[in-house]
Amino acid sequence: MGALRTEEFIVNMGPHHPSTHGVCRLMLTMDGERVVNVEPVIGYLHRAIEKICENRTYPQCIPIMDRFEYVTSMSCDYAFSLAVEKLAQIEVPERAEYLRVIMLELNRIASHLLFYATTAMDIGAVTPFLYGFRERELIIDLFEMTCGQRLTYNYIRIGGVSRDILPEFVPQCRKALNVIKGKLSDYQGLLNENPIWKARTKGIGVMSPELAIAYGVSGPNLRATGIKFDLRKDDPYSVYDHFDFDIPLAHNGDVFDRYLLRLREIEQSIKIIEQALDGLPEGEYKTKIPFRFKPPAGEVYSRIENSRGEMGLYILSDGSTKPVRVKARGSSYNHLQVLPEVAKDCLIADLVATFASFDVIIPEVDR
Amino acid sequence: MTKDELKNYIDTHYQEKMKFLDTGRFDLMYEVTKENLLEISKALRDDENLKFDFLCCLSGSDTREHFEVIYSIASVTKRLRLDFKIVFPYDQAEIDSVQDIWPAANWYERETWELFGIQIKNHGNLKRFLLPDEWDQGYPMRKDWDAPDFVRMPEL
Amino acid sequence: MNVTPFVLLELQPVFIWLYQLLEKIGLSGSWLTVASYTGLSLFLFGLLSVVALFLVWWERKISGHIQQRYGPMRNGWHGWYQTIMDGMKLLLKEDIKVVTRDKPVFFWAPIIAFVAAFVAYVVIPFGKGLIVADLNIGILYILAVTTFTVISLFMAGWGSHNKYALLGGMRSAAQVVSYEVPMVVSILTVIVFTGSLSMVDIVNSQSGIFFNWFIFRLPFGPIAFLTYITAATAEANRTPFDIPEAEQELVAGYNVEYSGMKFAMFFLAEFINMFTVAAIATTLFLGGWHGAILPSWLWFLIKTLSIVLLLMLFRWTYPRLRVDQLMEFAWKFLVPLTFANLILASWMKYARWYW
Repeated sequence: MGALRTEEFIVNMGPHHPSTHGVCRLMLTMDGERVVNVEPVIGYLHRAIEKICENRTYPQCIPIMDRFEYVTSMSCDYAFSLAVEKLAQIEVPERAEYLRVIMLELNRIASHLLFYATTAMDIGAVTPFLYGFRERELIIDLFEMTCGQRLTYNYIRIGGVSRDILPEFVPQCRKALNVIKGKLSDYQGLLNENPIWKARTKGIGVMSPELAIAYGVSGPNLRATGIKFDLRKDDPYSVYDHFDFDIPLAHNGDVFDRYLLRLREIEQSIKIIEQALDGLPEGEYKTKIPFRFKPPAGEVYSRIENSRGEMGLYILSDGSTKPVRVKARGSSYNHLQVLPEVAKDCLIADLVATFASFDVIIPEVDR
Repeated sequence: MTKDELKNYIDTHYQEKMKFLDTGRFDLMYEVTKENLLEISKALRDDENLKFDFLCCLSGSDTREHFEVIYSIASVTKRLRLDFKIVFPYDQAEIDSVQDIWPAANWYERETWELFGIQIKNHGNLKRFLLPDEWDQGYPMRKDWDAPDFVRMPEL
Repeated sequence: MNVTPFVLLELQPVFIWLYQLLEKIGLSGSWLTVASYTGLSLFLFGLLSVVALFLVWWERKISGHIQQRYGPMRNGWHGWYQTIMDGMKLLLKEDIKVVTRDKPVFFWAPIIAFVAAFVAYVVIPFGKGLIVADLNIGILYILAVTTFTVISLFMAGWGSHNKYALLGGMRSAAQVVSYEVPMVVSILTVIVFTGSLSMVDIVNSQSGIFFNWFIFRLPFGPIAFLTYITAATAEANRTPFDIPEAEQELVAGYNVEYSGMKFAMFFLAEFINMFTVAAIATTLFLGGWHGAILPSWLWFLIKTLSIVLLLMLFRWTYPRLRVDQLMEFAWKFLVPLTFANLILASWMKYARWYW
């Protein structure tokens, strides 16, 4: 009997697949269970956000930017506002900055909770999925109370925020934070010491620091490889230098580290919000900008640290009411790009775990 | 290294190759010629004092007069930021690929090619990915592109 | 009452009633035999379908309460007839067939799964005297017929002409074949003691106080029980061993192309299988229907449902293992452990160190 003839086959994972979180398609070349090659195919969610922004005035761009990355749309609003403020050199009142920081950090927590939920589910634990969503709901309620929206907020505007918080916001926010703080140990207790979870995540999807930097990986994915780089500390914007917080760091660069790092970032975000609530100054929440807002001609690339990594916005202005060019840079773009390098020659279950741990949000990739 | 120090350093070391532009509202903005692109990129990445190892963003742009490609780079170890751009007219829309210097440029360049029609030399993977595979209506991010009112869906 | 033509039959109360009823109608001879067996199997089929429907509902309630929600609440008290409505929906649904399927294989796979799930109940003693047929090879028969499940899963994977389904089928074949070994060996430890393969004999040898249950008899009992439960979880394709249908990896594995009633058959078969492995565990390790005060069938039900509950808790708390870790666990851990346990048990039997 001769040797068995084997051949590689191609599996289309997506665009409709439970673990691609949206409409990403991964073309997998498989040798049995083993993934030989991964080729991400994107563009199923391409909404031409950059082109639409070219035909909108600056304030009109913000609701469009909300859709850029809808899991943390506060940070999209903020990235755009910050870029325009840098362009036009607008001074923002301190209260507005504090409110922005509170909202951004709340949004970061919500996003990390979503990450916890979906990653656990992709590795097969269904129950944490619901737990993550339960606590996220508290934060979404706070947002709804403040700006009336639950997903695309349009809250942070050029020159400030759209409205002041309600008086009951502060106590309710503190309550929500206390609940989340208590639940964090539950989350870790469910998974951290679970032998199956450890077997599935430790040493899986390892990314070296060199690879991460070469491919422009940022945020928790970069910090999990042992590089301490966080724009909140290293290129400070807003009022982050008023607060005392740490940047969690891990060294192995595997799925487990990326997971644990995000849970530890939630603690730091809670710390920031508590300080911001304590020191919330009185005053204006908004700088008036003219109705026909015209920033001076010029260009700016501004970047902030959102929950996934560096979110950058390049704006080219010619002095009219509309931007000439808006380029939105999402960190998921780079994370998806590095996936074939990290997930080379692994099992399909590891690919799913790695993909989940990168926390890729497809609208951010496709724009 | 502060912003001014960085400006001084670049002005002294890369004086003839990089031209300072005043349009950058926040970070430094330089202009580089197409011929010098690869050389300058490599020098900026390998310079011991700068170490620009991180490509934040690469974006094409159409200013209604000419094309620009803006490279936003950063240094993770030295905490520096810098922008430089290359400017070229519409009829010479072809640039070198910087993939060998920053692998992250791969998709950004692919996107620039797809949406602006700027040819990338030595790219090796110029396939459509944001637009449909059978797209034949030009380059949508160019300013002279008219949005068609109705788009024919691909036949199933 | 003369039941000589049916020596194997021990489901006495029901059967005798049925037999007399049919006799009154006027049937006789072999027709009477055929009719009474048909009636009995229909009865068992109905009973098990009710059990399966109940289990589906129960699992949804349990998972709901674990996950801080209610589960089905709309149909009846706490949604008690939700599964019936789901079943009706699946019955009325269009049966989508892939054009490129392998027609006979695709058609027969759910039927085989369904039948294989049911036939095991011929030899399971539901209570005192409540058994369809006391075969002298009872447990061997169960192991033989439940293995048909893997054939059906593999057929479903192959016949669907879908890569995900094929991967799921391959995974299930590898998994079930691997876990068959520790499962059989842990059952063997019990058989060494009873000296009989008959389910009735196994139950009878555990009579008396609950210390006579095999799980409590000297060191081999708990180990054999735990290894059996582990292997049985894999056998029933439940999390953490549900890699054949791992929805996050293979969408739905072998049943990805099935819809309507064919899907429902797979689905029900899965729950029946879960009940089967729990029933075997009850019979072999937990003393079967033995128990004080309550009627024997109720004891059987309580014990079996507790094990089902355990399997459900596993499912809703654990992540899923990877396919190679699964194999490693079977061959590097479970198989040596069960064999060592079997040798220990045999030696104890030889040296008469037991009661």
